[in-house]
Amino acid sequence: MKILQYILLRVSGVLLTTLVGAAVVFFAMQAMPGDPALSALGEHASPEAIARFRAEHHLDAPLAQQFLHWLWGIMSADLGQSMTLASDVPISHLLVARIPNTVFIGIYAILLALMLAMTMGTIAAIKHGKAPDTIATSFAVLGVSMPDFWLGFVLILVFALTLGLFPAYGFESPLVSFAGALHSGFLPALAVAAPMAAVFARTLRSALLENMRKDYVTVARSFGFSRSFVFWNYIFRNSIIAFVVIVGLQVRYLLGGVVVIERVFGIPGIGSLMVDAAFARDYAVVQACAIVFLVTVLVVNLVVDIVCALLDPKRTR
Amino acid sequence: MRRIWQSIRSNSMAMAGLIITSLFLLSIVLGPILIPHSLTATAYDRILEAPSLAHPFGTDSYGRDVLVRVLYGARISLGISITGVTLAAVLGTLIGMAAGYIGRFYDSAPMRVMDLLFAFPAFVLALFLMVILGFGVANVALAIALVYVPIFARLARNMTVTIKSEPYVQAARLQGQSTIRLLCRELLPNISAPLLVQAGVGIAFGVIIESGLSFLGLGVQPPTPSLGVIMADGQEYFRRAPWVLTLTGLFVSAGLLGINLLGDGFRDLADPRLRKRTS
Repeated sequence: MKILQYILLRVSGVLLTTLVGAAVVFFAMQAMPGDPALSALGEHASPEAIARFRAEHHLDAPLAQQFLHWLWGIMSADLGQSMTLASDVPISHLLVARIPNTVFIGIYAILLALMLAMTMGTIAAIKHGKAPDTIATSFAVLGVSMPDFWLGFVLILVFALTLGLFPAYGFESPLVSFAGALHSGFLPALAVAAPMAAVFARTLRSALLENMRKDYVTVARSFGFSRSFVFWNYIFRNSIIAFVVIVGLQVRYLLGGVVVIERVFGIPGIGSLMVDAAFARDYAVVQACAIVFLVTVLVVNLVVDIVCALLDPKRTR
Repeated sequence: MRRIWQSIRSNSMAMAGLIITSLFLLSIVLGPILIPHSLTATAYDRILEAPSLAHPFGTDSYGRDVLVRVLYGARISLGISITGVTLAAVLGTLIGMAAGYIGRFYDSAPMRVMDLLFAFPAFVLALFLMVILGFGVANVALAIALVYVPIFARLARNMTVTIKSEPYVQAARLQGQSTIRLLCRELLPNISAPLLVQAGVGIAFGVIIESGLSFLGLGVQPPTPSLGVIMADGQEYFRRAPWVLTLTGLFVSAGLLGINLLGDGFRDLADPRLRKRTS
């Protein structure tokens, strides 16, 4: 019962944050200098054309009314039309075409990061203080020191241009060919995953080391359980919660990395859409992308919190 | 001071960090003075040359020496990052300490705003600000500050809440010290170590944000040679001359590795749980 209450509380919190976040994004965009009608139609547009454009996009209404109109649009999946990037195409169409690619790369990257981190973190903890630990820990620090887009280019240079194992540019949509997406998405996902894997591995290592020193380990060993049994069934299990929490926190950085990596590998996703829109000064699209990112972070953190609450009911108190 | 030095000496990773960071800083301070090549002079007979003794990082599409540009660019990128993180540290600490010390409404209202900033992906927040403010050096620093304000505010708030009920703070309050004096003299010195460590690590990540934004063309604009601008340049002729982008990135990664290793060392030092364990 308590868990249900907790979930309801968190869901309403997410809704409220989304609402306030949407307001901040909207009004920040309005505070910007320049007339969107002029930037869409060009400096030499006729006054009639500008008036028509302003009426079409509801630019003459009071700000509060514009905001409510826009908010209502979001609720009914109508985000308005792209102004300059793709003339008069509904923004929702642009998003729907690109969201699957970004989601695919994001999940792919998290899975790769988890696999890398589980291996490195566990080895480092078991061989604590020995050479494998030093190597794994050094890699972990190196992971957060490299610009992700640079790592992307190094991967292209080694695995695409020199070894020819993966394509250097372009991405096959998972909706067209899942195997093709796995293949063409491997390098970009790895570039996004590396800094995350570094952070995950460090968290897992220190959580494992902390739990190894606990009294229950000595007790379990004195019962005659084998070392590996105790490790996997007691220590590893108890270390997983810290791990799940950090995955939630890292989503902020993951999505940031995806924005740059999508440009490097030419993946048509939300990140590259936002950058293209920023160049085209298509503010409605930038606005929409910012909201998509905001909602993604909030929803992932909500899921993580709920998983944590289920793993460790003490957290709901 | 002696304790800091001893703990760095006993921790080989932190020592490595100290050495790498010193070399990194030394090279960007002295490098542009010692290297005989000009930052801007073009030489069209030496376009995209591979690395050699005369040009260790090769030359770019204008025949300019890449190493000199990278060393100079590191100054600019580091300067931007330090400005942004300092701004965030001052602002975030002020907000966090006020929120933690006064409490109630002054705690919940600003911290909810910080939570909201925290809900945007770091890079997306920076990108969004660049769209609103326009591109350029000063705005990149502001974007980095915006990314880091909530982090410092949270850290400062949580530590202030823990410390403010300690006996020595209560004693200072009973002595009749003013709130400002109390915050500056009693609280700030006791929460400053973790904040400084965060600032160090923040400067490293700030350089990554700057180079990412400028790489996309949304940050520092050419001809100002920031690290991101140089790498964006290198991307254009990546297949013909991969060394420009590769070596620049390698230099950045090495420098940031040093800063991060050093930051880790200081974090161990600032964490009383770990300190007790070693002694």
